[in-house]
Amino acid sequence: MLQEPLKRKTHLSIALALVFFFVIYPLLVDAEASYLVFLFYTAFMYVTLSQGWNIAAGYAGQVSLGQHAFFGIGCYVTAITWRAGTAGYLDPLAMLMSGAGAAVVAIVVGLPLLAKLRGDYFALGTLGLGEILRVAALNGGSFTEGAAGISIPSDVYQSIKPYYFIALLISVLTMLSLWFIAHSRIGLALVAIREDETAASANGIPILRYKILAFTLGAFVTGLCGSLNAYFVFHIDTTGAFNLNWVIMPILMVILGGVGTFVGPVLGVFSLIAAFELIRLLTPQLHPIFSGAFIILVTLFLPDGIMSYLTGHKNRLLHKLSPFKWLALNK
Amino acid sequence: MKNNGKDVVLRLEKITKSFGGLMALNGVDLSVEQGQIVGLIGPNGAGKTTLFNVVTSLYKPDKGDVYLAGKKITGKPSHQLCHLGISRTFQLVKTFLSLTAFKNVLIGAIYGHGMRGRQAREEALEALRLVGLADKKEVVTAHMTLSDRRLLEVARALAAKPLITLVDEPMAGLNPSEIINMLKVIKRARNERNVAILWVEHKVDAIFRLCDRVAVLDYGRKIAEGKPEEIAQNKKVIEAYLGKPPP
Repeated sequence: MLQEPLKRKTHLSIALALVFFFVIYPLLVDAEASYLVFLFYTAFMYVTLSQGWNIAAGYAGQVSLGQHAFFGIGCYVTAITWRAGTAGYLDPLAMLMSGAGAAVVAIVVGLPLLAKLRGDYFALGTLGLGEILRVAALNGGSFTEGAAGISIPSDVYQSIKPYYFIALLISVLTMLSLWFIAHSRIGLALVAIREDETAASANGIPILRYKILAFTLGAFVTGLCGSLNAYFVFHIDTTGAFNLNWVIMPILMVILGGVGTFVGPVLGVFSLIAAFELIRLLTPQLHPIFSGAFIILVTLFLPDGIMSYLTGHKNRLLHKLSPFKWLALNK
Repeated sequence: MKNNGKDVVLRLEKITKSFGGLMALNGVDLSVEQGQIVGLIGPNGAGKTTLFNVVTSLYKPDKGDVYLAGKKITGKPSHQLCHLGISRTFQLVKTFLSLTAFKNVLIGAIYGHGMRGRQAREEALEALRLVGLADKKEVVTAHMTLSDRRLLEVARALAAKPLITLVDEPMAGLNPSEIINMLKVIKRARNERNVAILWVEHKVDAIFRLCDRVAVLDYGRKIAEGKPEEIAQNKKVIEAYLGKPPP
């Protein structure tokens, strides 16, 4: 908002150039054989998941550990509507319904959780949500088909390109929405709530409404990703859909990039994927150990993320967010 | 509602609040008129903060009601109170640390009063000017001194265009010259905005210099109310602070 117009123009050109590159890249190479195209597809997915977490946690200060619940809901809504014959292959309507399903659950669960629980307790409550839904899906009888899961016939698969472009589109739309929110009065309210709830409320901000808004928007885009994932893997079961990876990886990426920043999470996604791939290539056996060590090092020594080296802002925001507060003790 | 020709902005009626066996407030009446500065003093544990928290709905009174401009507002959520015309500052300063001074005050204008766009920005600048922070508007609050943050809270409270502002020990932690500045700011706020101010303070001399009226609480009861010079002579008040003289 306060940036000089020239700087803003440069940023916009960089963003447009990047999007342009990602749009033409799969058209220039043999997309089906290219591993990089698959990695980019994964990255776009994680950009959306990361910003979905970032809007509630980084901007509004409400750290959710239940993003995998929304991802799983997205998966199951798509799989079940497919099985029922109401949705087709890569059906935009089914995808929107999956996002909406996650958003509705976010509102229903968010109302009591966000009204009654703060900080660590809210985080634990959301973690519980994911587990409850996983167990519910496991015992869902013929509706969710239990541990066996739901299969979508995979013979409709033709190319990775539609997945790639849909994931790119979702992530660009997510980024655009976040940009507009962050630079509007809504963004101001979210940051105020993160900084001091009591003061925010005393200054006329209806805090519950804005917390729910941030939480629900994050759930919606996460549900969209879940839906696309269902179409990609063609088989939805509880361990895949409600996997903790869908919440842990985005959190790590946001922290690595810079929590509560706009560009940071994108940098975090690409650097973490690059780092993990590199480690995997070099030491296939030791990969999990190195990845784990990497995570610990980042949260301890890089709490402001990569962004802080670009902008010079070191506000230790991560150490003020509730479940990460204990990290500050180590400094 | 009129009282001596002036509008009564805030009226507390027989406020009673107890915590378990402890009667923190016992039938306290109080009213504040438009443009009036009312001081609220009393020894530690007298119930000043409890009274504040009842007005700002952090506590619900066991008995009694709070009226703003004649309308009952007891127990309304605090963001609604702000919309209705009660803004406040905090004893332990609560500014939005990662935001600039300007954006802090902008929040008061946008969410406190429902202003938009240019009007909100102008109001925020005006409030910053009133407290003397106009040249620090782009400073991030985390880098401001305690005294500036206290002034910023006053600006933020005023940007909401309230009928009444509750200020909770605005002098706490300030040095003598900062206290003099704060007194000037409170006076200017009242004179320029005609806003009513209910002011809790431990520094009794500051209260006596500026207030139109002073109410004294002791053990949850209002033991005296009147002009500062009357209160300074009041036997009950002196006893509450210093104890009874030996017979």
